[in-house]
Amino acid sequence: MKRKLIAAVGVAGMLMSVAACGGDDGDGGGKAGADGFKGQTLTVWAMDGSTPPGWTKDLTKAFEKKTGAKLKFETQKWDGIQQKITTALSESTPPDVIEVGNTQTPAYAATGGLADLSDLKSGIGADWSENLNESAVYEGKQYAAPWYFANRVVIYNKKVWADAGIEAPPKTRDEFFDALETIDKKTDAEPIYLPGQNWYFFDGLTIGQGADLVKKEGDKYVSNLADPKVAAAMEIYKKYQSYSKAPKDKDEATPQQAEVFAKGNVGAFVGMGWEADTAVAANKKIEKDIGYFTIPGETADKPEGVFLGGSNLAVAAGSKKQELAKEFLKMALSDKFEGALAKENGVIPNKESLNTVLAGNAVAEAAAPAAAQGGTTPLIPAWAAVENTPNPIKTYMTAVLKGKSPAEAAKQVEAEINKRLAQSS
Amino acid sequence: MSVQTERADTAAAPGVRESEASPPGPKARTQRRGGAPAPYLLLLPALLATVVLLGWPLIKNGMLSFQNLNPRQLILHLTEWNGFDNYTEVVGSSDFWKVVQRTVVFTAVNVVLIMVLGTLVGLLLARLGKRMRLLLMLGLVLAWAMPVIAATTVYQWLFAQRFGVVNWLLAKAGWESMADYNWFGTQLSTFSVIVLLIVWQSIPFVAINLYAATTTIPKELYEAASIDGAGVWKSFTSVTFPFLKPFLWATTFLEVIWVFKAFPQIFAMNAGGPDRLTETLPIYAFVEGPGNQHYGMGAAISFLTILILLGLTAYYLRTVLKQEEDEL
Amino acid sequence: MKRPVSSTASRLWPNVTAAVLFVVFAFPVYWMFATSLKPTGDIIADDPVFLPTDITFDHFERAVGADHFWTLVGNSLTVTVLSVVFSLIIALLASFALARMRFKGRRGFILTFMIAQMAPWEVMVIAIYMIVRDADLLNSLVPLTVFYMIMVLPFTILTLRGYVAAVPKELEESAMVDGCTRTQAFVKVIFPLLAPGLMATSLFGFITAWNEFPLVLILNKGIEKQTLPLWLSSFQTTFGDDWGATMAAASLFAVPILVLFVFLQRKAVSGLTSGAVKG
Repeated sequence: MKRKLIAAVGVAGMLMSVAACGGDDGDGGGKAGADGFKGQTLTVWAMDGSTPPGWTKDLTKAFEKKTGAKLKFETQKWDGIQQKITTALSESTPPDVIEVGNTQTPAYAATGGLADLSDLKSGIGADWSENLNESAVYEGKQYAAPWYFANRVVIYNKKVWADAGIEAPPKTRDEFFDALETIDKKTDAEPIYLPGQNWYFFDGLTIGQGADLVKKEGDKYVSNLADPKVAAAMEIYKKYQSYSKAPKDKDEATPQQAEVFAKGNVGAFVGMGWEADTAVAANKKIEKDIGYFTIPGETADKPEGVFLGGSNLAVAAGSKKQELAKEFLKMALSDKFEGALAKENGVIPNKESLNTVLAGNAVAEAAAPAAAQGGTTPLIPAWAAVENTPNPIKTYMTAVLKGKSPAEAAKQVEAEINKRLAQSS
Repeated sequence: MSVQTERADTAAAPGVRESEASPPGPKARTQRRGGAPAPYLLLLPALLATVVLLGWPLIKNGMLSFQNLNPRQLILHLTEWNGFDNYTEVVGSSDFWKVVQRTVVFTAVNVVLIMVLGTLVGLLLARLGKRMRLLLMLGLVLAWAMPVIAATTVYQWLFAQRFGVVNWLLAKAGWESMADYNWFGTQLSTFSVIVLLIVWQSIPFVAINLYAATTTIPKELYEAASIDGAGVWKSFTSVTFPFLKPFLWATTFLEVIWVFKAFPQIFAMNAGGPDRLTETLPIYAFVEGPGNQHYGMGAAISFLTILILLGLTAYYLRTVLKQEEDEL
Repeated sequence: MKRPVSSTASRLWPNVTAAVLFVVFAFPVYWMFATSLKPTGDIIADDPVFLPTDITFDHFERAVGADHFWTLVGNSLTVTVLSVVFSLIIALLASFALARMRFKGRRGFILTFMIAQMAPWEVMVIAIYMIVRDADLLNSLVPLTVFYMIMVLPFTILTLRGYVAAVPKELEESAMVDGCTRTQAFVKVIFPLLAPGLMATSLFGFITAWNEFPLVLILNKGIEKQTLPLWLSSFQTTFGDDWGATMAAASLFAVPILVLFVFLQRKAVSGLTSGAVKG
């Protein structure tokens, strides 16, 4: 009995929201629909680790109270996620709200699978940080809302640094190199652990050099790796890498750089803040020695460029609960919950005014100064294909580290990159 | 003598039975009793399942191979025919042919190793005492039952540059230069690890089945051979080998298919690297197709893959069909 | 003459070889188990820890404590067992016809099943997905069961056919002379002799269906309808790959196959001997 009733209400609600879509463009639909949401369930796909338990609980409670609808979070694993999202968007009942990686957003926007959220932007998005919102805009339309971001910092072993007689974290790149040199000479620790294919660190360096990885040729994008600015970034990487014994043809996950660091015999590594937890999980004793600092740039007043990894929230175009989904976004992105998420996860929020919540969080305080200098990978739909395994840029990095000149190495992978950029969508 | 000899897990069994000339009587009766519709009725479920569950996806896949099917088309349910574009692009790329060549060599090396070593281990099993046989069987089954993902991960570690057991052992054994050896740095060394993994995983199937087959060789045959003065080698070539030949053929056929199609072992080991130099056809199809979300392209490559596999196994298929003619 | 000479040496080398081979085959498996019991700090170590002294069950707790673990176990068992059973039934019928009867198109059937073994399932996943999606059967165990069945069916048919052919026709004939119908003769005489064949094929089917990953990944997105391979891969996460939990999960994942083997092994051996006695 009860179940039937719920089902009936659900259908009514559905009809109503469809009607709302057909009527006007959903302006003010939130209020009108408040009761009509009863009995509906909004499904949200969030990636593993994005939604801390406390935050999820509070948000669900608030959401269900306000709309009368149910909220269901489904945590997604990274393995095979692209194919999973693509196929899900093609189904008749896709998840309503999806967390999409910021660099992948343009590709999904171009497929027509994401709903246009321009009205949401004008409603609640006026103070979203400009450089964080860039990835959510495709061909002038807003296809997602910026959610949270993170960038790499230097995680270092205070004890090793102290043993080498270094007192303060470096403020410039040259100071950093000097410190690594000193550690190399004065201790038997590995100054820095940097495998040859930490590609997002490299991407940050290219951003720092003002280099572009692709350029437009006619109406097509092609590889720009041969640009001297890219080569300059690669030279910096090479210099860092020369202080490490890490394999030149592996990325930071094999082996887990944090677990190598946890051995206590490594001076520093470049990683995400949470990797410190991985290190502590592997070796409790390391906890008290861990410190963080912003990756230093050319000069003390401007930190190194960083890759801003992060996520946007998008609404599936095929979702029949557009209004409810927008209600969810409004609530999740409100200062209250956006701030709470940033605080709990130690991530950069989507507007600078909320950065204050990061006070006292050592990682976030080290990360935040660089975020303003942060950029992403090229925001074109075809870019996602370039990063697919085997990522030709990683091939480029290994080639340079093994002695090829940047120009030669760029030439080696150019054809592959151009092929991937050219494959039409 | 017993016909039950030929218990071997084999599709090509007739080779043995022929020589044992079953009397004509029962054969005739079998025919009469197996009235006309009976075999078709018995085959009906299998046929239906194959047509619906395999034929349909194959046809669908065939249709996709003539389409431009990317996330956009998939999400919006669009059908964009593009004729032979996918095929011309694949066949026209020199990469594809290099991959084909590499796959054939890779398959050959693996299958030869698997068959030779598997046979030796199987024969060893037959020679062992009860306890040692059980021990070795246990080892084989453990290897066989280990999930592919786990096996590949473990092999990655064993051969890891910095914390790998293999390099550690080699260094301890005095080969200092191997202490920091990077197994995944070159095509040959990466392939060596992959081949080792696949051979390690595949030997148990061959060895255990071969051992089961040898247990059915009638003792009288060996006795007869030793009366004729045959030594170990002679009795192997005159009794064991002919007896096992159909089994070996059938197993080789299966191993060719399985090795050719091996996917997780290669992909998870080093993602087809370095520089895409260890990509075999299935990896190539995956990277170009689902990996880059160009599903039409993937479908086209998969069709070419079937054709190549058919070509590789054509000889065996023909032999089997020929024998089938003589059988019954 | 020869026997006394070869005594010690020739009895020794097979045993030594067997012992070495045992180590070669079992070591990676041992490494999996050992890793799953090591504290995370020992997993990556400059000097490998061969014998974990400092044993922890944390990894196992994490593996078993994953969301919906028992639902997934149930789903995996359901799908795997059903697909193996269906394929055995269908294959028995077919293999009997192919091994024992003469009819038009027989070679065509055999060829069909041989070619069916070559199907590139990994790449056909998207075609299957579209079919299942358009039939509105996503998030159900039914498509998984039937597709896993067809993945192992050709092998099962061809292998069982070999085993059926190997049963002496005379046995069947004599049963029929004794008044059995053909069906009875099959059930009473042939079926028991097929034990090793059933073992080989069901083990193969079980391992194949149990490990299948790409299809379930995109067909069943709701966690309530997923299977264990997805769980196994889930310990490779954003927060770094959790090798300890992966190995613990893999160890657990391998257990049913080992159990099945031990169980079938006993049956198969008795099948072998009974076959020999009757033959």
